[in-house]
Amino acid sequence: MKKLRTLLVFVLANALGLMAFSNANAQEKDPTEIMKKSHMAYYYAADDGVAEVNMSIVNDKGKERNRRFTMLRLDQADGGDQKYYTYFYEPSDVKRLTFMVHKSAAGNDKRWIYVPAVDLIKPIAADDKNSSFVGSNFTYEDVSGRLWTEDTHTLMKEDELNGSAVWVIESKPKDAGYGGFARKVSYISKENYLPLREEYYNDKDELIRVFTAEKVEVIDQIPTVTLRKMTDEKKGQYTTVQFSSIKYNQGIKDEVFTERFLKNPPREFVK
Amino acid sequence: MTNLRTIKIEMNLKRFTVSLLGLMLLVSLLSPLTPAASAQGLPVYGFVQGLWGGFLHERNPVPSEYSASEVRLQLKLEEYSGGAEFFARTDFVYDDISDDQYNWELREGYVKFTLFNYVDFKVGRQISTWGTGDLIFINDVFAKDYESFFSGRDDQYLKAPQTSLRVEYYSPYGTFSVVWTPEFTPNRIPDGMRFSYFNPMVGDFVGGEPFVLMARQPESTWENSETAFRYQNSVSGWALALYGYRGFYKNPVGFDPMAMMPYYPRLNVYGASVRGQFSGGILWVEGGYFDSRGDSDGDNPFVPNSELQGLVGYERQVATNLTANIQYQAQYMLDHDKYVASQMGGATEDELRSLITSRLTKTLKLETIVLSSFIFYSPSDEDVYYRFNVDWKYSDNMTLTLGGNLFDGTSGATEFGAFMLNDNLYGKVTYGF
Repeated sequence: MKKLRTLLVFVLANALGLMAFSNANAQEKDPTEIMKKSHMAYYYAADDGVAEVNMSIVNDKGKERNRRFTMLRLDQADGGDQKYYTYFYEPSDVKRLTFMVHKSAAGNDKRWIYVPAVDLIKPIAADDKNSSFVGSNFTYEDVSGRLWTEDTHTLMKEDELNGSAVWVIESKPKDAGYGGFARKVSYISKENYLPLREEYYNDKDELIRVFTAEKVEVIDQIPTVTLRKMTDEKKGQYTTVQFSSIKYNQGIKDEVFTERFLKNPPREFVK
Repeated sequence: MTNLRTIKIEMNLKRFTVSLLGLMLLVSLLSPLTPAASAQGLPVYGFVQGLWGGFLHERNPVPSEYSASEVRLQLKLEEYSGGAEFFARTDFVYDDISDDQYNWELREGYVKFTLFNYVDFKVGRQISTWGTGDLIFINDVFAKDYESFFSGRDDQYLKAPQTSLRVEYYSPYGTFSVVWTPEFTPNRIPDGMRFSYFNPMVGDFVGGEPFVLMARQPESTWENSETAFRYQNSVSGWALALYGYRGFYKNPVGFDPMAMMPYYPRLNVYGASVRGQFSGGILWVEGGYFDSRGDSDGDNPFVPNSELQGLVGYERQVATNLTANIQYQAQYMLDHDKYVASQMGGATEDELRSLITSRLTKTLKLETIVLSSFIFYSPSDEDVYYRFNVDWKYSDNMTLTLGGNLFDGTSGATEFGAFMLNDNLYGKVTYGF
């Protein structure tokens, strides 16, 4: 009897799976599915990745500050846990400083910083994902991603943006207490699911921040946003992030994301 | 007297101007070099920094009215080749308050390499840090520099370098670390020349040449080397560590009545710590047993008694760009009754000393302005040390800092009370390249 029930469940599950597969095209109208695929394309490309990053932060007076670092990423599971490692080159006061994040899909990310001048490893108490990432207009959440399951999505329309066919999707946070935005409008490329533009609105429905994918390149057959821009509409500041020397599937080992390598950078990836 | 004082101020002002000119000259010389140097990938970088500070108390008995007046050039050089990393960090300082005005120090100079895949070596002059406390230390028995700490130098100067061999073995069962320092390296503490201190034998706050604190260091022998050990492992997200230290008190807390001189008594420390995420923040707990080898019974009046120390701390982000922490530390003296008896009526230390600290850090304008405040308050000793600073990052290269160090207490016999005439305010300009 028990065996029969197991078999039944198996057959049923299979049938459901088959249905899901045959309905793939229709599901592309499902905004949640689109946002999930977009999240995968943008945050989970390949199994791991290395890039050199040039960040330029420009304030409302046009004054520019720059950060240069190497960033390593390793996915534990697609759409799930990830590990990030950052080694800073510039400005000179943060040279050799390293920074590590263990991103948890369950929501309690862990972050560590290593300050070489005093040989100090410090876990960072950073509950707030909306705080600025290294003094830029990008937040920690922008860098490591906000799970599509945290918002409800509506397909507003299908449109074109700078010659690319896009889905325009509105997302609203499920958690009423969330402070990052009240409403977000994303323009998702139909060709590769990358977000080409995102508009963030506050609870007064004022436009507060705009993300734009300024340049998309195909690297190792993976479409990648290599120039990203975040504009603070209220303060008139913006940050651009240029990715270069991007490499995917480098076989980065899990042990790189530990205290040992915070103190001793992995030299095959860090100059 | 008034005349002498005026002359002194004039001289100081002159020196101030000379230092400032020197700093400006250096910056202007280095600025055009910077892009070229980085373009060629020259591995030399660092900063130039001017620091000037003044005392707030008229009657601070030290030679200068200035708590700091110095220009510092720090050069860093790194090279990685053949699996080994070489790193050097050297400071060149023009210091108006120190006797040797022109000075230099190798802050770090080491080679780092790995053997057998899992054993990391770091050999040479280096700075070591471990333990969980924020600016309070139990199992971290590495050299500190409190004179720098009190004078407004950057936080990195709180840790003084030691010439050591560090070996770390990463095993599946945890990480084993040993730092062996062949020659005992003491803390750098206010000795009366820059900062005054309370001298119990004089019964007053003292400073200047006749009161320079001299202490006898252990002889450089194999037996007198320092060994620090740590075992660390992670258990369900909590970082657990065990520690051991064999060496000496880092401050000259012993007194040799025959030689009439302070010295560094023998000390062993055994301890443990745990740190991890808790309720949206970071929680840490650390404890240690200070085994005063020269006074196992607690009845020697010239050597500190053994102690138990513990601390608990919690840090969290309380609002966007605002982080706060709080710590409580307890120091429990063993055999306190014997200590009281041995002091023959002159006992000043309680059985239990408690300390509460709190740090607040607020960043503004995309982290270009950082407001920081740190308070040490001991309810048992009734003394306070408050430090604050405002950093304004004018550009990626230029940072301007204003800050202060304020002490208070009801008696000179307590840790911070001893420095209560040294309240100072300072300004600092840093140019990184």
